[in-house]
Amino acid sequence: MSRFYRSIKPFLYLLPSLIILGIFAYYPTLSVFRLSLYKWEFLSPKMEFVGFDQFVRLFGDDRFWNSLWVTTKYTLVVTAVSLLLGLVLAVLLNQKKSVPGRSFWRSVYFLPSVTPTVAIAMVWMLIFNPGFGIVNIALRKLGIEGLNWLADTKWALFCVMLLGIWRRMGFNFLNYLAALQNVSEALYESADIDGANGLEKFIYITLPLVKPTTIMLMILGVIDSFMVIDQILILTGGGPGGATEVIGQFMYTSAFRLSKLGYGSAISVVMFLIIMLFTLFQWRFVGFGTAEE
Amino acid sequence: MKKISFARIFNFAVILLFAFIMLAPYMWMITTSLKPRNMMGEPPYLIPTSFRFENYKIAWEAAPFLRYYINTLIVALGVIASRIIFASLAAYSFAIMKFKGRDFLFLLFLGTMMIPFQSIIIPSYQIARDFNWFNTFQVLIVPRMVDAFSIFLLRQNFVSIPKDYLDAAKMDGCNDWQTLWRIVFPLAQPTVLTMSLFTFLFIWNDFLWPLLVANAEKMRVIQVGLQAFSGRYQVEWTYMMAGTVMATILPILIFFIAQKQFISGIMKSGIKG
Repeated sequence: MSRFYRSIKPFLYLLPSLIILGIFAYYPTLSVFRLSLYKWEFLSPKMEFVGFDQFVRLFGDDRFWNSLWVTTKYTLVVTAVSLLLGLVLAVLLNQKKSVPGRSFWRSVYFLPSVTPTVAIAMVWMLIFNPGFGIVNIALRKLGIEGLNWLADTKWALFCVMLLGIWRRMGFNFLNYLAALQNVSEALYESADIDGANGLEKFIYITLPLVKPTTIMLMILGVIDSFMVIDQILILTGGGPGGATEVIGQFMYTSAFRLSKLGYGSAISVVMFLIIMLFTLFQWRFVGFGTAEE
Repeated sequence: MKKISFARIFNFAVILLFAFIMLAPYMWMITTSLKPRNMMGEPPYLIPTSFRFENYKIAWEAAPFLRYYINTLIVALGVIASRIIFASLAAYSFAIMKFKGRDFLFLLFLGTMMIPFQSIIIPSYQIARDFNWFNTFQVLIVPRMVDAFSIFLLRQNFVSIPKDYLDAAKMDGCNDWQTLWRIVFPLAQPTVLTMSLFTFLFIWNDFLWPLLVANAEKMRVIQVGLQAFSGRYQVEWTYMMAGTVMATILPILIFFIAQKQFISGIMKSGIKG
């Protein structure tokens, strides 16, 4: 008995975690693949097996391709800009002698990352409000009549991207700062002796040294942006005319607004596979989730 | 020398500019929340010129914000407590016990980190319905009780505990249970704290799942409550912003109190809250 107990003890310690992950992670993952093969609407008990029909429909659906395209634009812009600005800020703040109050600025830059998305999306709605928003008030002072930004097909996605960049920048900044602090001063000093200017030092010393961090942040950023939904849901709901309908929003609308849960599952499967591809990239090139490894 | 000091001033100006960009939305939020109703846009200052604190009272009474707060705190406490207990148990098993299939199981656990929640939200919704859990605390707490990242963080921590400690505990007659809670767990306090802070942020900011499964007035958590409030007070921006401040203030306060844990947590592990 005691020996038996000893041999199962490690599993007893794992049991609560296994049960929870089993019901709320593994099962739904398998289930979403199964559900994608059924036509299933309005949570009704009737589910009709249709095989890959929904995927065929999905790949012929302009709305799906639009959502992929919008997601791609959003992901590329938000990831690239927030990486670049994060790095610039980290370099500026890493100059130990010249910047007073470093830890204060560090916290200020990181603040957006701890701010609830829904709440800040409310503020964004106000900022870009056609009547009361500060953007249009400022434009009015200059004698320009501003637009209804979030309802404008050309500008809505841009406004949403700004929020994405604003929220992501501090996280990238902090990771870059951590990477830069491991860079030895001596490298820069010897570059000084060779007469390199600031830009040259940035391109030839800093950039190569933070490359692992860049790759990690790029993949994490791509995954994060690809799954964006909360702020879209609040700001535009995917509109106007699908201009901001990212794939997560498309899935949400199909499944929970139009009650096509089977079709929504097919979209989910596509999302899952794309994200998994990115994650495998990350595990392959960076090790997982951590800057240290 | 002159050139260097110019560069320094320029650098500092950029630092200030970005600090302004980061802070301006908060300033506009707070300023608006303190304005009288009829002067919504004007004057367009980022620093409050009027201080109508009644806006907060009106917003607080217009929607059951206290209920939203209490609900969110209950969920946060439940999730944090269970994550600490279950992750400690699992991490102890992975870090200190030896058994067949350990590495495989560990990888299987880590694998859950690559499942994007949005992509399994439909079956999760179905499970919640089958359990009859809509608009309950269970539906907000139970699916979040275990997360692979906490297990991973704690395991890394437990592995680094010197073997001497464990041997000494064994000599003193501690069994595994006692070794975990009396020796190993206390040594991991900083990690547990970081883990709890990130979990709190996650729960406080959570939106999509609670929106789908707990959107009855009595069961709303803070962000869902704020969204419902905005639906009703869309045009009353002063009240709206007062509500938004109330939904934002707590995580920001906690961040400023526990900055060190947050910043070092991010810098060490490269995760997002």
